[in-house]
Amino acid sequence: MERTVTYRQSRRGGGKLTQHLSSWLIMLPSILLFAFFLWGPLAQGIVMSFFTTRNVSLDKFVGIGNYASIFKSQEFWQAFGNTVMYTVWSLVIGFLVPIAMALVIGETTRGKGFFRTASYVPNVLPGLAAIILYTAFFSAEETGVFNIILKWFGVERQSYLTEMGLVIPLIVIISTWKGAGATALIYMAGLSGINPELYEAATIDGAGIWKRVRHITMPAIFNLGSTLMILQIITVFQILYEPMVLTKGGPDNASLSLMYLMWRYAFGGRIEFGKAAAAGVIISLILLLFTLLYTRVNRRKNDWEG
Amino acid sequence: MKTRLLALAAALSILLAACASPSATTGNVPGSDPANDPSPSPATPPVEAPSELLEVDSEVIDADLTCTITAGNYPADTAPEAEIAVFDGYIDILKKQYPNVTVIPDYYHYTLDTYISRAVGGSAPTIFQPPFTDPPILIDQGLVADVHDALEQFELVDKFSESFIDMLSDDNGRLYGLPRDGYVMGLHLNLNLFEEAGLMNEDGTPMYPKTLQELAETGKIIKEKTGKAGLVFPASDSFGGWMFTCLAWNFGAVGENAMQYQDENGKWIINLTSDACVQALAYVKSLKWEYDILNADTTTSTWASCHTTLGTGEAAMNFAANDAVSNPTAGAGLAVDKFAMVPYPAGPAGAYALTGGTAYMFAPDTTTDQAVAALALLKINGLLPFVTESTEAGMRAAQAALRDRGGPVLPPVPAWDDEEFVAKQREISEEYSNVDMRLYNDYFNSLADGSITLKGEEPMLTQDFYREITRAVQAVIVREDRDPLAALQSAQDNFQAYIDDQLGQ
Repeated sequence: MERTVTYRQSRRGGGKLTQHLSSWLIMLPSILLFAFFLWGPLAQGIVMSFFTTRNVSLDKFVGIGNYASIFKSQEFWQAFGNTVMYTVWSLVIGFLVPIAMALVIGETTRGKGFFRTASYVPNVLPGLAAIILYTAFFSAEETGVFNIILKWFGVERQSYLTEMGLVIPLIVIISTWKGAGATALIYMAGLSGINPELYEAATIDGAGIWKRVRHITMPAIFNLGSTLMILQIITVFQILYEPMVLTKGGPDNASLSLMYLMWRYAFGGRIEFGKAAAAGVIISLILLLFTLLYTRVNRRKNDWEG
Repeated sequence: MKTRLLALAAALSILLAACASPSATTGNVPGSDPANDPSPSPATPPVEAPSELLEVDSEVIDADLTCTITAGNYPADTAPEAEIAVFDGYIDILKKQYPNVTVIPDYYHYTLDTYISRAVGGSAPTIFQPPFTDPPILIDQGLVADVHDALEQFELVDKFSESFIDMLSDDNGRLYGLPRDGYVMGLHLNLNLFEEAGLMNEDGTPMYPKTLQELAETGKIIKEKTGKAGLVFPASDSFGGWMFTCLAWNFGAVGENAMQYQDENGKWIINLTSDACVQALAYVKSLKWEYDILNADTTTSTWASCHTTLGTGEAAMNFAANDAVSNPTAGAGLAVDKFAMVPYPAGPAGAYALTGGTAYMFAPDTTTDQAVAALALLKINGLLPFVTESTEAGMRAAQAALRDRGGPVLPPVPAWDDEEFVAKQREISEEYSNVDMRLYNDYFNSLADGSITLKGEEPMLTQDFYREITRAVQAVIVREDRDPLAALQSAQDNFQAYIDDQLGQ
């Protein structure tokens, strides 16, 4: 009997192994790719953050020296504050625009396909090309595109990216212009899932467009909106090339972001990859908090749906 | 004149190297070539090499040297065909002299941020051209090759001045590169705007500003008469600080008022709150808020964009050096007879001008054979201190190409103090000259007669120092109510903390 049990357990175990083996084999390419491109560099970055470096090689162990140096630096806190402001402005400007676009395009009866495609076109442009395009638009010189337009209406030329109070909102507007169409498509997909009978019933009951949006559309996309908001915060927190190309972090560091500061540690002067790695770890920890929040929201959403 | 030039060359070689102490730092250094296109090697265009190079009798020098090198700074596909043909002509001669050497042209133009990844990833060109601020950190970080043996094979080591050996060698005295040429800061002028503003003498020379006060007043006249900026001023990234230090020297931030100095205990002290620095920053502020002569995009302007602004007639003056005269002309379309270069305007405390230059260095995996082949290519270019038939032809071809594409052919500011070589460079530049030297004589005379004091860059963590000062410069440019002393105090406190942290002092 004992033998039989052992045999059965063994067979059962072997069966599981065979079953698991095929699963592991299916996952293996992904695991290898993740290990090589993600987990390996991630672990190396964490290790590097505790060392000084000679180009990209580890030199001397300095414990939390790189972290202490970063936290002592006024630039870090300025960049942190700016990054928070990027996030706040992106919520003020960038969060509602795609929803509005989705609603307007959704309500459009003619040319919906055209507007849907047109809203997505900026997203197709290479990021740097779009940013460089905007340097011509926001130039404070007479040759700046917006200043030329203002001149048609007799308005004096204006400064844009050289204004400390304007620079972050303008960068967010540019980013929104580029990315809103893609997000709007996701909202449109969400909106298409709403049962049209609800709208018909509401209309019969005398609900206008605002009431339909408020009582049917908004609740329907609330969970989707929560998820996209957290993803947006995570993305905007990593803003890099927009300030790098448009303003180089200026004026007076008014547009310096955490990611750009990290880039500067590595490539901008002293070639301090250890310090850059430490900055990367700090940013990752902040983003981890947001990710946990995202997971929590997502789980709550699934619970509701479940 | 020849003696004065040689004396100048010797003095320059010391000063140029002094601008990059072992502790100097790097970055997208003002004065370096701005283009950076990491595209793969270009196809050879079907344009015949210039006659100067075709006439060279190229005998085989070393048939045993077998290697492949990549040569950076190959002109872009959009460059004039003549310019590409010159580069190809050099390569053709090298192939004749060293039949088993293969040269792969590379568009790459050095900047520190792009070079690091290339060097570590093994795709840096065999030879590239960093500015003088960068060799110490490239050597310190192990990002360049030791080419001492190749330099010895070429009998170049003995031709180095001591100051260049200090800049381009490690602690063991091994050399990692060689100087290309030098520059001295002056003032570039767009004569179209000077004419429009009525600021030309009867003999066709400009009424240019000789002092910083005159610069502000001249700029104001130009702004009022033409509506264009009197002065284009780069104040983005680290450029604003770079510009500021030279201004501050002229206000007296030298000697006991130096911006960086070591105290009696050897500790490095940052001194940006001296009267000289405060006056200099107040001067920059006045250019914006009192005289209103600066370009509107000052805080996003770079060294490269300033040349375009001047060349396209959007500004009349630009603080720039002799190594960049082709940028506003050949690069941005300003006719060569509408361009002038004059000495850096003097300040209330003297006349100082920044001096620097460009080096040749080699990718970290370069072998001695590859370094020898790269040096052979430089020799054919006429860039090494040798005077032979082929080097002379190389010099002629370069000057002819520059003249053909509309850049001013000017006397050199040499990095080598070899008498015969400097004399030949000068002779050839005169032969191919396409400019009215009256528009440049004051600049070159000021270097030769010592009426302007040449000064290397601030020694410690230079690019980081510039970046910190740039914040103060930007602050007074974008905010009329920003106090220069307060802005400089903030920069001083921040950078003192940074340098203490970096040096552990």
